[in-house]
Amino acid sequence: MAAKPENKIIVVGGGLSGLMATMKICEGGGKVDLFSYCPVKRSHSLCAQGGINACMDTKGEHDSIYEHFDDTVYGGDFLADQIAVKGMVEAAPKLIKMFDRMGVPFTRTPEGVLDLRNFGGQKNKRTCFAGSTTGQQLLYALDEQVRRLEVKGKVQKYEFWEFIKVIKNKEGAVRGIVAQNMNTNEIVAFPGEVVILATGGPGQVFGRCTASTICNGSAVTAVYKQGAHIGNPEFIQIHPTAIPGSDKNRLMSEACRGEGGRVWVYKDGKPWYFLEEMYPAYGNLVPRDVASRAIYKVCVHMGLGINGENRVYLDLSHIPADYLEHKLGGILEMYSEFVGDDPRKVPMEIFPSVHYSMGGIWVDRLHHTNIPGLMASGECDYQYHGANRLGANSLLSATYSGTVSGPEALRLARSGELGPMLTQEELDAARQECVEEFDKIRAMDGEENAHRLHQELGELMYKYVAIERDNNGLDQCLKELKGILKRWDNIGVTDHGTVANQEAMFVRQLRNMILYAMVVTKAARMRDESRGAHAKIKLDANGKQMKDADGELVFMGRDDEHFMRTTIVDYDPATEEPQVSYMEFDHSLIKPRARNYAVAKKE
Amino acid sequence: MFHTTFYLRRLHSLCGLFCLGAVLFEHIFTNSMAIFGPEALNGSLAMMELIPKPIFLALEIGAIATPLLFHGIYGIYIALQANNNPGRFGYVRNWNFALQRYTAWFLVVFLIWHVGYLRFYTKGVTGTPISYELLQNLFTSSPITTFLYILGMFAAIFHFCNGITTFCMTWGITKGPRSQNVISMISMGLCAAMCCITLVFMGSYFVR
Amino acid sequence: MADKMVRFIIERQDGPNEKPYNQEFDVPYRPALNVVASLMEIQKNPVTVDGKRVPPVVWECNCLEKVCGACMMVINGMARQACCALIDELKQPIHLQPARTFPVIRDLLIDRSVMFESLKKIQGWVEVDGSWEVKDAPIQNPYTAETAYEISHCMTCGCCLEACPNVGPQSDFIGPAPTVQAYLFNLHPLGKFDAPKRLNALMEKGGITSCGNSQNCVEVCPKSIKLTTYLAQLNRDVNKQALRNMFDK
Repeated sequence: MAAKPENKIIVVGGGLSGLMATMKICEGGGKVDLFSYCPVKRSHSLCAQGGINACMDTKGEHDSIYEHFDDTVYGGDFLADQIAVKGMVEAAPKLIKMFDRMGVPFTRTPEGVLDLRNFGGQKNKRTCFAGSTTGQQLLYALDEQVRRLEVKGKVQKYEFWEFIKVIKNKEGAVRGIVAQNMNTNEIVAFPGEVVILATGGPGQVFGRCTASTICNGSAVTAVYKQGAHIGNPEFIQIHPTAIPGSDKNRLMSEACRGEGGRVWVYKDGKPWYFLEEMYPAYGNLVPRDVASRAIYKVCVHMGLGINGENRVYLDLSHIPADYLEHKLGGILEMYSEFVGDDPRKVPMEIFPSVHYSMGGIWVDRLHHTNIPGLMASGECDYQYHGANRLGANSLLSATYSGTVSGPEALRLARSGELGPMLTQEELDAARQECVEEFDKIRAMDGEENAHRLHQELGELMYKYVAIERDNNGLDQCLKELKGILKRWDNIGVTDHGTVANQEAMFVRQLRNMILYAMVVTKAARMRDESRGAHAKIKLDANGKQMKDADGELVFMGRDDEHFMRTTIVDYDPATEEPQVSYMEFDHSLIKPRARNYAVAKKE
Repeated sequence: MFHTTFYLRRLHSLCGLFCLGAVLFEHIFTNSMAIFGPEALNGSLAMMELIPKPIFLALEIGAIATPLLFHGIYGIYIALQANNNPGRFGYVRNWNFALQRYTAWFLVVFLIWHVGYLRFYTKGVTGTPISYELLQNLFTSSPITTFLYILGMFAAIFHFCNGITTFCMTWGITKGPRSQNVISMISMGLCAAMCCITLVFMGSYFVR
Repeated sequence: MADKMVRFIIERQDGPNEKPYNQEFDVPYRPALNVVASLMEIQKNPVTVDGKRVPPVVWECNCLEKVCGACMMVINGMARQACCALIDELKQPIHLQPARTFPVIRDLLIDRSVMFESLKKIQGWVEVDGSWEVKDAPIQNPYTAETAYEISHCMTCGCCLEACPNVGPQSDFIGPAPTVQAYLFNLHPLGKFDAPKRLNALMEKGGITSCGNSQNCVEVCPKSIKLTTYLAQLNRDVNKQALRNMFDK
């Protein structure tokens, strides 16, 4: 039997999803050029703390894969493709076993099997975890495996290389990328038979968030500009419990609540456990969108935040310290380190923060984008989470999507469907275009400082497109975003060199961030309903936010008739503005029902 | 493949602790006889002369010279791999690490002088036997020599005692921080005791 | 309050082969300010204390939560993560330098690829057959798993290499972090099958024999990994392996 050809696939992004896809491709006989902004071991996946969901059913609760499926779809407010979600939850237990074999030091029960914990939006214990640094441990396991493949010559890593754009052949299929070495600033065009983007979320569009500084979504915008659909971008998850900070909001895992942490503020001089009161069935373990809105309401609308500031307590101090150390050690240490208080003794002070993007590049169930030869997987795609992601489903979706996109990329590469590889002229032309763009940026000498402009962008997005939205605000936001985009042209750089010119590279990313902000805002503007993380306040005839008889804000309801569809955003090259349309998706397995976490789930 | 570095390194550790440790103990033991006067020291030196010459020479070459040369030369190679930084990282163990190397450098020079002068020149070339009177004369005639000898002894003692601590780590005998600290304290106690003995017998030349 | 400034003295270098020089910056003080946040402020206003507009300082950072390991630099002489170096706990003026154990690319940006290469040398992985389903993973002693969890926190930041007097251009020591990683995989029920390979790799030149027990590593490890304990354990294992190598054949 003749050996299969060693097809070369380009994977951009070295987080969980990219590494998983890489591994699958190599196992299938392919070779991978793996591009990453940073050493893959430092990818943002390692910031995931709480755990990874999989129905292991080892706690005598009769947990089932169907239950996981239903929780995910219900938690996502019925906007997720149900066939895709089903595939993911079914694969989950197998992935856990794989990680266990690879050496992930999961936390174990006294008899040595994997321990499980509670997580938001799920009544059963279903979350496997490695202390409070699950993402780090999972990422390291795949990093190690990919290093093994690297030694075998299957993987060529390009670390500290930034993806700039994809290159298409004459038939419009993606057959290569242009990337830039971040240290030498050399720009090179790389041919590849198929390109998988696994570049993570766009958190930096909001400035301060729980994401790493590298999560700017620039790669997503780059392919959006080249014709890729963006799906459901308006669904931005706001994590209810983060430590507010001036440089970033540091995540305080949902696992705190999973292990018994309680959220409260003082009301009439007494602790008020408002989540437990508002949502008796789930209490502190309501999904993130619900918890964030409740905290926001208590602080902003009721003025009950700690000392009048936007903070509430997250309390673990009633739990024995050694239990906390065992289950949550790492993040409690982090809180002590950055805040100075010991969460084992005093309640932590937290507030919601932008955390995750449910939306992203539109893909089908096999993770093809609408551009042939371009695939997307991980947080940068829109799949699996609908309108709101359940905690501990992100590590799962990242890994699972890699197990789908990897083999599929190899199949596609071998199918011969994509037409000819790129000629040297095509590669050179694409490269030259990027070189010219970079040179132009290096020479910019306007008045604006890119980093200050970025800060403004984040503040603007938080103001209008965060927890509560309304159409006036969104219109205003779009207008101001256009202003910011114009001001981008007037940026001045102080660094004109070509050795690790981080400033010029940031300027290039910033433009993409502004464009992505417009995508999010426009999609939010067009979706006239509330669903999951997207909560829109009704406006009265005067354009004021509507309030009911008790003075409470009136939110739009969920509108399945018009909006149980996937938002699709396309780039209009002429105006640089986003164009919104809608697409049907598969929701044939579970009939939509009202989402109410005050009562136990009824199926 | 043959892990040359590993075996050399372990051999360096073994011969330092056992061969050269024994030599050091022998020196301190014999020299401390000076405390009890010329007869005691000369007596114990004479005891050694009872060993038949060929055996004595073989011992000198096999158990002293060879280990010393190996430990010294390979030790220089090891010391060259260190970029001592106790100024930046002033932890006790790091100071000990640096001192281990500083004392090593000093000992290389000191031992060349000591062995060259007493063993090769005095005993070998001039044929003068080592005796209490010779040593007393050597020390009392030059305070610098005395000082350098005391320093040399201190350096050797510290190097040996700290070597016990690191030996226990290198051979995986003491694993946890507590056991490492205990051994470290014991060996530093030994170091202090041996230094005191040295001061006493060196001092005894001056009071008698 | 608003007038209070924090003075930074930053050792800069324009390229891998350029000469280092110092530049001073003032950053407005605010509570809970850390070194990375200060460098971000400098990005927003890259002007030295002499009023000179200069290219912003180049450094590496990702997570700002002390898990990615990217932002290691030398702060007031100490190798540590910049993100959790709170200004309130530092002596001013604050000196920032690149960790020169590694090649400097520019300013505070260094090239730590040697650490990842070392992880290849010690075979830092569990040799699984593949990512497909095989069977249930073996049950593990929860106490052993906890030790593994501790070691697995190592974020390859390089603090221990910067502090170790035996790591540097003068020596080929791979350093404490990669060495101790070998023990992590030797602990795993499947990984231990290859323990002899890893131990033999550690016996090579630049392996564990280059450890001089200065124990700086355990002092500076930002993750408080008991590096010296595991180094001693590895010494024990390596010695046993050496005996096996000698007498088993």
